[in-house]
Amino acid sequence: MPENQAADKKTFKAEAPVQLIVFRLGGEEYGIRIEQVKEVTLTPEIARMPKTPPFVKGIANLRGDIIAIIDLEERFRLRSTGNGPLTGSTYTMALEAKDYTIGIIVREVPQPLSLPASSIEKTPEFIQDLNVHDKYIEGIARLDNRIIIVLDMLKLLTPEEIMQLKPKATSSAAAERR
Amino acid sequence: MKSREQEYRELFMAEALEAYDAMSQHMSVLEKRPGDEAALNEVFRLLHNLKANARAMGYNEIGEVAHRMETIFGQIRSKERPFAGSMVPVLFSGIDVLGGMIRTVGANQALTENLPLIENLDRVIAGEEPVLEEDSEVGSEEDATRKLELSDLVYIPIKKLDHLLNLVGELIIDRDRVLTLAQEVGDPTLLSVTAHLSRLADDLQYSVMDARLVGVGTLFNKFPRVVRDVASAEQKQVELTISGQDIQIDRNILQIITDSLLHLVRNAIGHGLETSEERTKAGKPAIGQLTLSAQTDRDNVLIRITDDGRGIDVERVRRKAVERGVLSRDAASRLSEAEVYTLLFEAGFSTAEQVTEISGRGVGLDVVKLAIDSLGGQLGVESKLGAGTTFTLVLPTSIAVKGALLFELEGHPYALPLMHTDSVVSLQSDRLHVVGGTLLAKVLSENIPVVRLADLLSDHDDALLPADRSKLVGAQDIIITSYNGRKLGLIVDRFLRQQDIVIKPVSQPLDMIDLFGGVTLLGSGQVCLVLDVPALTRLFLARRP
Repeated sequence: MPENQAADKKTFKAEAPVQLIVFRLGGEEYGIRIEQVKEVTLTPEIARMPKTPPFVKGIANLRGDIIAIIDLEERFRLRSTGNGPLTGSTYTMALEAKDYTIGIIVREVPQPLSLPASSIEKTPEFIQDLNVHDKYIEGIARLDNRIIIVLDMLKLLTPEEIMQLKPKATSSAAAERR
Repeated sequence: MKSREQEYRELFMAEALEAYDAMSQHMSVLEKRPGDEAALNEVFRLLHNLKANARAMGYNEIGEVAHRMETIFGQIRSKERPFAGSMVPVLFSGIDVLGGMIRTVGANQALTENLPLIENLDRVIAGEEPVLEEDSEVGSEEDATRKLELSDLVYIPIKKLDHLLNLVGELIIDRDRVLTLAQEVGDPTLLSVTAHLSRLADDLQYSVMDARLVGVGTLFNKFPRVVRDVASAEQKQVELTISGQDIQIDRNILQIITDSLLHLVRNAIGHGLETSEERTKAGKPAIGQLTLSAQTDRDNVLIRITDDGRGIDVERVRRKAVERGVLSRDAASRLSEAEVYTLLFEAGFSTAEQVTEISGRGVGLDVVKLAIDSLGGQLGVESKLGAGTTFTLVLPTSIAVKGALLFELEGHPYALPLMHTDSVVSLQSDRLHVVGGTLLAKVLSENIPVVRLADLLSDHDDALLPADRSKLVGAQDIIITSYNGRKLGLIVDRFLRQQDIVIKPVSQPLDMIDLFGGVTLLGSGQVCLVLDVPALTRLFLARRP
């Protein structure tokens, strides 16, 4: 490992750094490439949309755009025992998907982080067992003793994936897991 | 499509003919009661308008006659001379000549000057005796050949056009369904008929939208007066330039932005432009320039309000944001200029140090922003410190404004299009009966199934539980919807109000949920879901216990 780190440091100056927006879901840190993040704001008032699964918090008016707000903790069942449901003031990251904008709700202010591209490793096999399916994961970034899971939002937010929002699809998926 | 010029000519004709009819009528009143002030004022006003319109259209011959007659009526009105004597036949023949000229314009023929009349009018103005030559004969000849004419234009209340547009909207929705069905069936004859139907529906929609378009000028032309009043109250010198009055836009959009535009113009004069002394000191011309302009940009209309005043002081906005606790000092200093401008649209944010009568009434730019949002438009600002500010409104040319009933369910507002609302009742729970697991209400001797909307909108799709009347306590607010002749009562928590709304489509990925015809933004900025009654009715039928 020390060798690896030394190698990382060497390349740090040579290559363009990757800029991530890092946020916390459950106990883990996740990152999204900064160019996929449109803005971060205090969560606006959300209107619950009936006939959507619980992780779709509803829709909100973000500067005149009506966007869907989703809770990834709930989506990926990452709510750990220490964390109750999202209450109080939270933040919303507006993400640019292909044809639309979508809001992801987070507890703490997401932080920008700059790191060398080489510090993002391809997903190891074992990740497949986790709830966050590996196809959304671009890689794992290691920085000192932090581990940041880098998500590929464009894949996560494709209409096909969001099709799972359909109540029927979710309930059958939930049944499978049981 | 008619050319703009032709359209204007028709408008001129309609107004001129109306004015001519009214003037003839007032003249006969004056003949009997020469001192009738109302009639005198009316004739004076009509002549004045006719003169202005005719000159604007380039019909100077009409303008010349109307101008001289206006002068004479001005003298009569200010009691310099009575409506009597030899001037009366001259004025009568003047009205007749005007009528003839207006008809000449209508027939698309060239106008000729009526020199004897003009000379006579000039003599009357100068207080000389007019030369009357067999005038009565000319008059009677004119009378004999006169035809009765109805105007080619009709005035339509906007409500009727709204209704028409709503119907067209419904038609478009049904057309799409028919198209889908026809494609499923695949019959070639059916396909060609539906294709034709589809084109007709498109044309109809286009025509109705076109009929609702008015020139931006109908609103802009009210501003010279507003600017004058505001400028004098603020003790500033302002010169207003207006351009693009011909740009066409939906009348209701214009209605909705009226207050916003008024606010922005007041703002520009109150906060944007400096006083003459300040301007001179800064090396600028003493008179401030304010420009209102409209132009088309693809499907949108851009309206700009530009002043050459002091511009937005970005640093001051930052300081204000920190003072108000909107942002930390650190965050404020990191904002780009464009981001600072967006702060101006936050509720309750005003940089004006002193509240003036005109522009600081606690209504901020946030209200303007909300109005533009509700139209699905955009609001932008550009500014240069010391050089001026431009606000740009990007507006859709056309919209469907729908009447809707607003109600509350589980703490959130919802809207239901009036189109599908049959009636609204408040019933005590003992007036509801359970038949076969479904609630029935007897309204006007009709049995209508009723369901709690909250139950119908629950997240699972299983059959509804048999209705339990004991869950209902006290009076129930029920909206009776009607779709395809099928009525369904929806129990909601509370009626709010009736309101005209502009429906925006639900953005992806939630657009696959067909229960919602769209969303609308309320004046409060709250997001309000618009329920789709056809889909609700289908859902009820599918989940009926």
